[in-house]
Amino acid sequence: MNWLGWLTTFFTAPARQSGPDAIAHRIAEHLVFCGEALLWAVVLAVPLGVLIGYTGRGAFVVTALTGAARALPTLGLVTLAVLLAGVGDTAVLVPLVALAAPPLLVAAAEGVRGTDPVVRDAALGIGLTHRQVLARVCLPAAAPVLLAGLRTATVQTIATATVAAYVGLGGLGRYVVDGLATKDYPATVGGALLVVLLAVAAQLLFAPLIRRASPPQARLTRRTRTRRTKEPR
Amino acid sequence: MITFEGAAKRHPDGTVAVEGLDLDGPAGRITVLVGPSGCGKTTLLRMVNRMVEPTSGRVLLNGEDVASLPAARLRRGIGYVIQQAGLFPHRRVLDNVATVPRLLGQDRRTARARAAELLELVGLPPETARRYPFQLSGGQQQRVGVARALAADPPVLLMDEPFSAVDPVVRAGLQEELLRLQSELNKTVLFVTHDIEEAVRLGDQVVVLREHGRIAQCADPHTLLTAPANNDVAAFLGRDRGLRGLGLRPASTVGLLPTGTELHGWRLAVDANGRPEGWERGGERRPAPVFAPAADSLRSALDAAVLSPAGAAVAVDGTGRATGLATRAAVLAALGPSVEEPAAERPATEPTAGEPAGGR
Repeated sequence: MNWLGWLTTFFTAPARQSGPDAIAHRIAEHLVFCGEALLWAVVLAVPLGVLIGYTGRGAFVVTALTGAARALPTLGLVTLAVLLAGVGDTAVLVPLVALAAPPLLVAAAEGVRGTDPVVRDAALGIGLTHRQVLARVCLPAAAPVLLAGLRTATVQTIATATVAAYVGLGGLGRYVVDGLATKDYPATVGGALLVVLLAVAAQLLFAPLIRRASPPQARLTRRTRTRRTKEPR
Repeated sequence: MITFEGAAKRHPDGTVAVEGLDLDGPAGRITVLVGPSGCGKTTLLRMVNRMVEPTSGRVLLNGEDVASLPAARLRRGIGYVIQQAGLFPHRRVLDNVATVPRLLGQDRRTARARAAELLELVGLPPETARRYPFQLSGGQQQRVGVARALAADPPVLLMDEPFSAVDPVVRAGLQEELLRLQSELNKTVLFVTHDIEEAVRLGDQVVVLREHGRIAQCADPHTLLTAPANNDVAAFLGRDRGLRGLGLRPASTVGLLPTGTELHGWRLAVDANGRPEGWERGGERRPAPVFAPAADSLRSALDAAVLSPAGAAVAVDGTGRATGLATRAAVLAALGPSVEEPAAERPATEPTAGEPAGGR
């Protein structure tokens, strides 16, 4: 019950200060998994989403993929990946990418689709090519939505990357899984807390980015509002 | 010159937007396409910059088929102004205006300098340059839209209901501004509107369209108002055609009496600079409506004469100095024989102020 004691035990144990089980090392492992997974997810989902959003075609792909991905049990996917690819980074990356890609796909498609049609029409009409319209009009308009999607994907990936430990790989999941296996509750609680802190930190890190990417209207009138009621569009 | 040769647009589902139009928009003039919604006027305008491709026929600019150029390159040479301005919300006004020069390869500094000139040209204060579009009023945004269209100095300007979304007072200001710009720049303008008043005010040539882009009448505004081709056109022109036609005729033909002439006991008081102060009779003083023969229309002259207690409008020159008096009879006489009917209907109580005393 004395969880404060547990945390003290966890954070002060010599094994947490250096060596493979050190906190810094585990966090680094965790972040590498997340970073790799997010990179793949961005590469796969964003171009597809942008294309779907710009052309207005293939919206069903978004619906189908996101629906299917949401139904996938992550642990099941890890197991499957291990069976197919053996124990290794791939086994962890597959489920993490599957988790991170759908919100990115939706954000890219919706963000680009949400560009003011009048502005798009004017841009084409004064002589921008489709590529230029996409790069100079649609992407800036989509940026806040896209970043919000990336934030969702990041937070979910950080929280879920603990599964790496199930297949014997590193990351913060080690503390949780090993702690449970050896009834080392300080490790379980400490590991869980670190995952939460990391996720919250990522969440906070995105706030200024999203604000910077917001349209000038939202950015410049922000201070006059007492409270933001919804995500900037 | 903009030339439509049998330009038609049929949608894949079989509906016809434009049946096949032949039309010339003369160089250096404003051609207005006017008609009810659904008459295909916007479709026609968008054929010129290939935002719509005709399904048959073609559109020529100075004799060259617009389809012979890549669309983006064609469009950079044609100014395009649309109803809601369509400015880029994430860019400052200056960079919005500099867009096309930048696309054409000008460096940022040159393009911005040009953009600043254009903001001045369309009557926006310099501090507007650093604002974002959302910080401007609708009328200001529209001015920026016009500046953006003019930035690369294109010979042709397409304007698709550019002033429809602003209130009437602002609209009148923008129309005036366009006429002023046009007198300096002499662009070949194709202007689309559903507002016949605007069409008559701006057009050198007004094309009244019926459904499917069929031409009901194509004429200069004065001919249109005084001699509509048929009852449909007359109905579309609306009430008071005759009076509105006066708005298109210069007031410089009105004969004037000397400013000292006494009319029904009223005498014009002027200040030290010769500017009218009011009509005086006995101890009474009433305002003196004025018109400028050099700039105003017969309609303004008649309006001022009708409002005047003395039955005469005061003609003023560019500095506001009174140059003469135009009685109602003199204004009506200036109408000439072509519009006799409204003159015949006037009440018989018109002042008998004698013959107009010549002058301008």
